[in-house]
Amino acid sequence: MSKISLQSIEKSFGETPVLKQVSLDIEEGEFVTLVGPSGCGKSTLLRILSGLEQADAGRVSIGGMNVTDVRPAERNLAMVFQSYALYPHLSVADNMMTPLRMRDLPMWGRLPMIGPLLARDTYRVMQGQVREVAETLKITPLLDRKPGQLSGGQRQRVALGRAMVRQPVAFLMDEPLSNLDAALRVHMRAELSELHRRLKTTFVYVTHDQAEALTMSDRMAVMMHGNILQVGPPDEIYANPNCLEVARFIGSPAINTFAAEIQSDGHLALIGTTLSLVQPLTRAPVTVGIRPEHLFLSPTGRFQGHVRYRENLGSDVFLHLDVEGAQQPVVLRANPAQAAQVTLRNRVCFDLEPDKVLLFQSTGERLPCALATREVA
Amino acid sequence: MQQSRAHLWFIGPALALMVVILLIPIAIAAGLSLTDYSLGNSGAEFVGLENYEKIFTRSTYEKMFGATFRYVFVVVPLTVGLGLGAAMMIHSLGRIGDIYKTIYFLPVMAALIAMAIVWEFAFHPTIGVVNATLERGCGTILENWAWYAKGCERTFPLWLNDRDYAIWTVSFIGIWQGFGFNMVLYLAGLTSIPPSLYDAAEMDGAQSGWDRFRLVTWPMLGPTTVFVITISFIRTFQVFDMVEAFYPQGGGPSKSVYVMMFAIYEKGIQQNLMGIGAAITVVFLAFVMILTLIQRWFVERRTHYV
Ligand SMILES: Nc1ncnc2c1ncn2[C@@H]1O[C@H](COP(=O)(O)OP(=O)(O)O)[C@@H](O)[C@H]1O
Ligand SMILES: [Mg+2]
Repeated sequence: MSKISLQSIEKSFGETPVLKQVSLDIEEGEFVTLVGPSGCGKSTLLRILSGLEQADAGRVSIGGMNVTDVRPAERNLAMVFQSYALYPHLSVADNMMTPLRMRDLPMWGRLPMIGPLLARDTYRVMQGQVREVAETLKITPLLDRKPGQLSGGQRQRVALGRAMVRQPVAFLMDEPLSNLDAALRVHMRAELSELHRRLKTTFVYVTHDQAEALTMSDRMAVMMHGNILQVGPPDEIYANPNCLEVARFIGSPAINTFAAEIQSDGHLALIGTTLSLVQPLTRAPVTVGIRPEHLFLSPTGRFQGHVRYRENLGSDVFLHLDVEGAQQPVVLRANPAQAAQVTLRNRVCFDLEPDKVLLFQSTGERLPCALATREVA
Repeated sequence: MQQSRAHLWFIGPALALMVVILLIPIAIAAGLSLTDYSLGNSGAEFVGLENYEKIFTRSTYEKMFGATFRYVFVVVPLTVGLGLGAAMMIHSLGRIGDIYKTIYFLPVMAALIAMAIVWEFAFHPTIGVVNATLERGCGTILENWAWYAKGCERTFPLWLNDRDYAIWTVSFIGIWQGFGFNMVLYLAGLTSIPPSLYDAAEMDGAQSGWDRFRLVTWPMLGPTTVFVITISFIRTFQVFDMVEAFYPQGGGPSKSVYVMMFAIYEKGIQQNLMGIGAAITVVFLAFVMILTLIQRWFVERRTHYV
């Protein structure tokens, strides 16, 4: 019913094109994340959806209604800003009540001093709503404070509360967690997911942090230089990126990439080793991508490298290996027990899981082809 | 237990300087205000509060307060209001606004004493452009306005030399001269409002310009406004050069423009009555002091968005 649809949105600031024919459909109740590096146009797209920015071309519709020329206030969306944008002169309660006051009260009811007396019943209802939301977000003790007296995390909750007091069609969030410290950020991820489950309202969430996108979304849209490159559930985008840029952006540590070549006999030459493909391809240079967790240490491994760095995360250890023939260090995930036996600067052998290898054309597009799981010797 | 005296060395110089250049002169003025001292006299009689008694009883000083307060209470609200209006207009204009900014700020930069000559010319009853323009309107619909009809019938007022009009005319020039200053202060205030607050207001349903003004602009300008009002009060209390330029003798028709600063100058310098001049100065300082205290109270109570 309240499906949101962006069709062929274009936007330039001056000469610089920021969005190039972007289209995206968002189902009702979905948690959709727009993720991409800084400056790729995520905020601009979100602001066009909210109406705060006007698109040069394209159509925005909400619930089947064309709202391209409708004011933000009338689109019934709520937004959480990166800077929170709380009104510093109003208490937390008044901040949260503002959207209700602006919408539900007539002009005279908004007058200072006498407004609350004239529209006493409406005020009581609104205060009830505010208290209810404050209860949900556990900020009831803060209701009388000013935003300046709150910590970053508390402000974040208040901003969320202000968005929640009325029932909007969708919540738009522009990097709401990026001003929080790391621990709180991880905690708030879980809490936002929980909130989404409870409210069952559409969330459109913008972030540059692929981890946030992977953990929270039902679907994510990866944006780069003004285009949406791929839309899909996080698992699918992680396992099946449709181009090299998406593969590189999603996942941390980043995917390993190697320049390789498909030989005239249809085999793949990869850093000194020849691997067979499920179906042979014509001879061409390709890029091979393989994630660190799909490489493993093995005494009989076909590749070898020198350990240059051990990145110990406790549960996992990422080994950075210098491999002859590879331009960058190769990152390999090992479990701590295996990693304990490895010493710096020593030579190790490793291998790959052939069915997890991704092949890309030299232009960056994905090749729909996999390695054979068993080598035909 | 030995206590270090280092702190004295830290605050000492600043304290000494403050005493020498601020407190001693004020103390001297306060001391003089209790005497009938004249410059050049070897001594002076202690007269107690006689000078103050004069200030609060004689009709000359009643006129002084009348002129000062009329000027202040007309000029302050209007310069603040116009300053805010002009600032908001310029702020919304973007680049073209720079031209207006320069134009509106010109009177602030121009010496008022030089500008006074131009205004004297403009308000001249026979060759002045103001009355000439008003006469053009005679015979039109404007004559329905009784005041206008009277002006056409006889003559339009002697703006600067009629005791019913003089103080208002001077106030008008004061507004013309002063609002550009407030505008610049307000522009700085407007620039520092985070644009995301307007976005938030829009999302919250503030649709009209008035809603946005009430919800964001005005509260966010609170600290600026307190400062602007205080500065305007102090500046208008200090008006002097215009009065001196228009009315070198005696403070205008029937002393209707006899403002405080001019009174201090006339008594203390021209007539060499240092005692009474000092007394007016002390009263003036008291006003400024009260204003400053009110400002501090506001800053701490209302507009401090911790
Ligand atoms: N108001 C604006 N005027 C000019 N350029 C802008 C404006 N807003 C954004 N841009 C430009 O548009 C591009 C995309 O911005 P934005 O959507 O904020 O990126 P993101 O949120 O993905 O980091 C950036 O290169 C930025 O410099
Ligand atoms: Mg952004």
